[in-house]
Amino acid sequence: MASLEFLVIIALLGGVLAYLVGKLSKVVGASLTVLVSGFIFVSVAYFGLNGSLDASITYLPFVSFEATDLYLGTSFGILVTFIFFMVSFFNPYFVDKFKYPSLYSMFYLFSLAGVLGVFFTDDFLVLFFFFELVVWTSLFLIPLGKSKKAASWYYGFSAFGSFSLLFAIFVMRNTAGSFNINDGLSMVGGSDQILVFILLMVAAFAKLGAFPLHIWLPKVLGNSPDPVTSVFSGGLEKLGAFVAVMGLVKLAPVGPVIEAIDMALGQYLIAILGALTIVFGTLMAIRQDDAKKLIAYSSMSNGGYILVALTLLNDTSVSGALYHVLIHALASTAAFLAIGAVNRQTGTTKMSELGGMIHKMPVTYIVYLIAIISMAGIPPMGGFVSKWLIFQSVINEGMILIAIATFFGSIGSFLYVFRPLAALFLGQELPEFRKVIKEAPFFMLLPMIILSGLNIFTGVHPSVILQYINNVLAELGVTELGITTWTLSGNNGDLYPALIAVVFGVGVVIAFIIFIVLKKSRKVDLMDTYTAGNFVYTEELLHYSVDFYAPIERLYEKHINIMKDFYKGIAKKVQEFGSFVKYFFFTNKPEITVLWVVIVLGILLLWGDLL
Amino acid sequence: MESTKFSLLTKEEVDRKWWEIGDFFRRNSLWMLMYCTGCCAIELPPAMTSAYDMERLGMGPMATPRQADVLLVTGYLSLKTLRRLIYTYEQMSEPKYVVGIGSCTINGGIYHDSHAVINQLDQYIPVDVYVAGCMPNTEAVMNGFVDLMRLIKSKKANGWKKYHKNNEWYKKNQIDSLGEVRVKDEFHD
Amino acid sequence: MIISILMGISVAFFGFVLQTSIAGVNRKIIGRVQKRYGPKWYQEFLDIFKLLSKRSVTHGWIFDFGVIMALGGIIATAMFMPITNDLMAFPGFDNFFIFVYLIAVGMLGMAMSASGSGNPLASIGVMRALTTMLAYEIPFMIIVLTIIKLTGHSSLSEIAMFQQTAVAGLEFSGTWFMIALPVGFAVAFLSLMGMLGKKPFETYIAPAEIASGPMVEYGGKQLGMLFIMHEITVFIEVSLFVHLFLGGAENIWIFLIKYFLVYTSVNLISNVNGRFKIDQVVVFFYKWPLLFAVMQAFVAIYLGWVI
Repeated sequence: MASLEFLVIIALLGGVLAYLVGKLSKVVGASLTVLVSGFIFVSVAYFGLNGSLDASITYLPFVSFEATDLYLGTSFGILVTFIFFMVSFFNPYFVDKFKYPSLYSMFYLFSLAGVLGVFFTDDFLVLFFFFELVVWTSLFLIPLGKSKKAASWYYGFSAFGSFSLLFAIFVMRNTAGSFNINDGLSMVGGSDQILVFILLMVAAFAKLGAFPLHIWLPKVLGNSPDPVTSVFSGGLEKLGAFVAVMGLVKLAPVGPVIEAIDMALGQYLIAILGALTIVFGTLMAIRQDDAKKLIAYSSMSNGGYILVALTLLNDTSVSGALYHVLIHALASTAAFLAIGAVNRQTGTTKMSELGGMIHKMPVTYIVYLIAIISMAGIPPMGGFVSKWLIFQSVINEGMILIAIATFFGSIGSFLYVFRPLAALFLGQELPEFRKVIKEAPFFMLLPMIILSGLNIFTGVHPSVILQYINNVLAELGVTELGITTWTLSGNNGDLYPALIAVVFGVGVVIAFIIFIVLKKSRKVDLMDTYTAGNFVYTEELLHYSVDFYAPIERLYEKHINIMKDFYKGIAKKVQEFGSFVKYFFFTNKPEITVLWVVIVLGILLLWGDLL
Repeated sequence: MESTKFSLLTKEEVDRKWWEIGDFFRRNSLWMLMYCTGCCAIELPPAMTSAYDMERLGMGPMATPRQADVLLVTGYLSLKTLRRLIYTYEQMSEPKYVVGIGSCTINGGIYHDSHAVINQLDQYIPVDVYVAGCMPNTEAVMNGFVDLMRLIKSKKANGWKKYHKNNEWYKKNQIDSLGEVRVKDEFHD
Repeated sequence: MIISILMGISVAFFGFVLQTSIAGVNRKIIGRVQKRYGPKWYQEFLDIFKLLSKRSVTHGWIFDFGVIMALGGIIATAMFMPITNDLMAFPGFDNFFIFVYLIAVGMLGMAMSASGSGNPLASIGVMRALTTMLAYEIPFMIIVLTIIKLTGHSSLSEIAMFQQTAVAGLEFSGTWFMIALPVGFAVAFLSLMGMLGKKPFETYIAPAEIASGPMVEYGGKQLGMLFIMHEITVFIEVSLFVHLFLGGAENIWIFLIKYFLVYTSVNLISNVNGRFKIDQVVVFFYKWPLLFAVMQAFVAIYLGWVI
C-alpha cells in the first residue's frame, strides 16, 4: 500500500531537498531528481497496477484523492511519471547550462507533484490547484532555455485555459452541489452542460496545444531547455488529453445529433477542430528549420488525432485515442531526447547547420529512427496500432472530411519526420563536427534505449496494454475493444501486430542473406559521390538541408501567419480598448473618474434587484 | 583410379563458372554512360531510337557512372574534360568497359595538332573497343557494341583489370598531361 | 505458422517473377508502340542479375542497412498479399492498412539509404518522392474509405469476394467497384500512376534532371536489390488495385489477366505523357482528383447512389 499523498509529499520534499543540495553541487541536486522521480514512478506503477494505491490517509488538509476504480487516472499517472523518470536522466547533463540550476531541479519535482495530484484527485478544486501548480512550476522552467518570451506566450494561453476550467468547475458546483468530479460531470445538464462542454474544451485545447489555441506550443517546445521540452511533449501536454477525456467522454454528448454520421453536433465541431489541428500542425512542421520546433508541431498534429478519436465515442476510437496518448508520449519523448543529445554534443538544433551526425552518434540515430517510425505510424512500431484503431473508427463513421485530415496528417508525418533524419543525421559529415563530436554519455543513452524498446514493444504486443485500456473503457462506459492474446478486432477487420513484426523480420533476414552472399562492396568516402564530373571539396555544397520541402512550402507559405496575425489583431484591439477606457475613465480630472466609479458601482449594486 | 565424375570443383573453377554466368548477364545488359564530348554523339540518337533500336540488345542509357557498365567517349577530349572523364571512370562499378567512338579517341583525329586536346585516349584510361571513323556510321557504332559483347564473351574485355594492373603507368600519363587530375582552385569549391 | 511464412515467401517470389516478366513484356510493347523491336521479354531479369553480379561501392553502414531494410520491408508487405480468393499466406490479416503502411517501411529504408549516400540529388529525389506521396495518397485513401465503408471490410480478399458474387441482403455486392464507383475508379487510376511513378508523375526519378533521384549513388548489388524491391512494390500496388476495383480473382489465370491489363494500360498511358514539375503534381492531385474523390464518397456513402 502506498499512500498517494505520501507520494505527493515526497515529490514536494524532494524538490526542496534538491534545491538545497543543488546549492552545494548542481549535478548532485539534479541527480536527486532521478532518484525521486524514479521512486515515484516505481511506486505509482507497482501499486497502481495492483490496484492498491491508498487514498484514505490524509496528511494534507483539503486535499482528497480517489483510489477505487481509477483506471483512467492511474494509466495517465503511470505514463506521465514514467516520462518524468526517463527525462530526469538528462537533468544532470544539462543542469550546468542553466542560470538557476538548483531551482530547476526543484521545479522539476514540483511539477511532478502537480501532475500526480491532477490525475488522482476526485475533487475539482484540488484538481484546479494542482493544475495551477503544474502551470506555475513549468512556467519557471521554460525561460531557462533560449527565450523568455515563450514563457509569456505559455502563460497567456495557460491562464486562458485555467480560467475557463475554473469557470466550468463553478458551473458544475452550482448544479451538483459539491466539487466531486464524477458527480459534477454526470449531473450537469441543459444549457449549463453546453457551457461546461465549451469551457472544458477550451481548457483542454489550451493545454494540448490544439488549433486555435496552439500558438504557444511550438514556441515553448522550441525554446525551452531540452529536458523540459521532452517533459512537456510527453507529459504535461497529456494533461490536456486528460481534460479532453473529461469533456468529451465523461460528459454526455452535447448538441443535436447529426443523422448522417450519427454524432452529436458538439462532438463533430470538436472533431473538425481536431482535424484542423492535424492539418495545421503537419503543414507547419514541414517548413520548420529547427528540429525541436518541427517535433513540437508534430506534437500538435498528434494532439489533433487524440481529439478526433475521442469525439467518436466507440470502442476502437477511445482505445485508439488512449493508446495514441501513450504512443505519442513514448515516441515524441524519445525523439526530443535524441535531438536533445545532439544539442548537447553540438550546441545547435538547426537542421541547416548540422549534418552527418550518424557517423559519430549511431545509437542516438537508431533511437530517433525508431521514434519516428512510431510517430509516422509505420509497423512494426506502436504508432501503427493506434493509427489503425483511429482509422478504423473514422472510416466506420464515414466521416469523409475528417478522414482527409487524418490521412493528410499521417502521410504528411512521413515528410516532416524524415527531414531531421536526412538533414541532421544523414547526408554529408560536416567538417566542423567531425573532430569534436562523440556519442552521448551512457546515462543519456539509457532512457533513450528504454523508450525505443517500449516503442517496439507497443507495436509488437499491444494486447497487454490494450487490455488495461479496456478497464479504462469500462470505467468510462464505452464498449470494450475485442482483444485476444495476439490479435485486435476493429470495426471492419482484424490486426495481428506480432505477425507483422515476425514477417518483417523474415523479410529483413531474406534481404540480408541476399546482401551477404553477393560480392563485397568497395568502401568509398562520402565526398566521392556523383557530381556530374565536377570537383567539389566542400561538404556544405553537397549537403541538401536548407529549405528541404521548398516546392510544397511554396504552395502555402503566404498563409502561414493567419492565426498569429489573428491573435496579434486581438491583442491590438484589447490595447485600443484599454486606451479608450483610459481616455474616458482615467483622465486628468479626478472628479470624472470618481463619477464613473460611482455610476459603475451603482449599476453593480442594483444589478438583479431593479435592473 | 579416381573417378572424375564426382570430384568437387576447386575454388578457382567455381569462381570461373560464376564469372562465366555473370558474363552472360553482363553482355546482355550493357548500360551506357554517355560522355558526349564531341560530334560523334549525334550518332547515338538514331542508334537508340526506332531506326536501330539499341534496346533489343539490352542496352540503354543510364544517368550516373555508378549505375553504368559502359563508358562511351564520343569524340575529342580536351584537357579539361579529360579530368572529368577520369574521375567519372573511377567512379564506375566494376566490371566496367570503355568504348571510344570516332577517330579523335584513337589518334586525335582532326584535332591531332591542338594544344588543348589529347590524342590517344588509350594512354589515360584503358579502352576496350574503338569505333573508327569521322564520324562513324550508326551501323559501325552498333557493330562496335556487338564487338564489345563478343569480347566480353571471350573474356578479352579486360580494360578495367589493366587499369588496376598498370595503374602507375596510367597515373603517370595522366599527371604528365594534366599536371594533376583533381584540380583544386577557386573555381572548384 | 512456418507453412504460412513459407507460403508468404513464395507469394513474394511469385510477385517478383510475375512483375519482372510483365515489365519485360511491357518494355517490348512500348518498343512496338514506338516502332522499335524492343528488348527480350526477360530483359529485366538479365538487368537485375547483372547488377547483382557487379562489384559496387558503399558509403558506410547506413547505405547498406537502408537497402536491406527496404527490400526486407517490401518482401514482408508482399507476403501478406492475397493472389486469389484462397491463395494467400495469412487469411484474415490482409488488411488494407498493412499494405499502405508496411510498404512505407521499405520506402523509408530506401530514403534513408539514399540520404546516407551524401549526394544532394538523392535527397532531392527523396523529397520529391515524399511530396508526390502526399499528393496521390489522399484521393486514393478517400476512395478506399468509400469502399471499406460500403463493404464493411478492410481485408482485401473480403473486398474482392464482395465484388464477385451478389449476396442477397448485402447492398452493392456483386459489382466490381470499377463499375460501381466509376469516378472513384478514375481517381484511383490516376493515383496508381502516381504510386508507380509513371510518366506525368515521374518527378522523383527524372533521370535528365536529378540523375535518377534516390538511385543516384547505387550500382551493383545495392541497385540490384533496389530493382527487386521496385518490382515487388509494383506487384503490391497493382494487385492492390486489382483486388480493390477489379473484383480480385477466383483463380490465378484471371488474376494474371487482370494484372497484365492494369499494368499495361498504366504503361501505355504514361508513355504518351511528359513530366510534371513537383509542385504541379501536388496541385494536380489536390484539384480535380481530390474533389472528385470527395464527391464520389459523399454520393456513395450518404446518398447511396452506387451503380
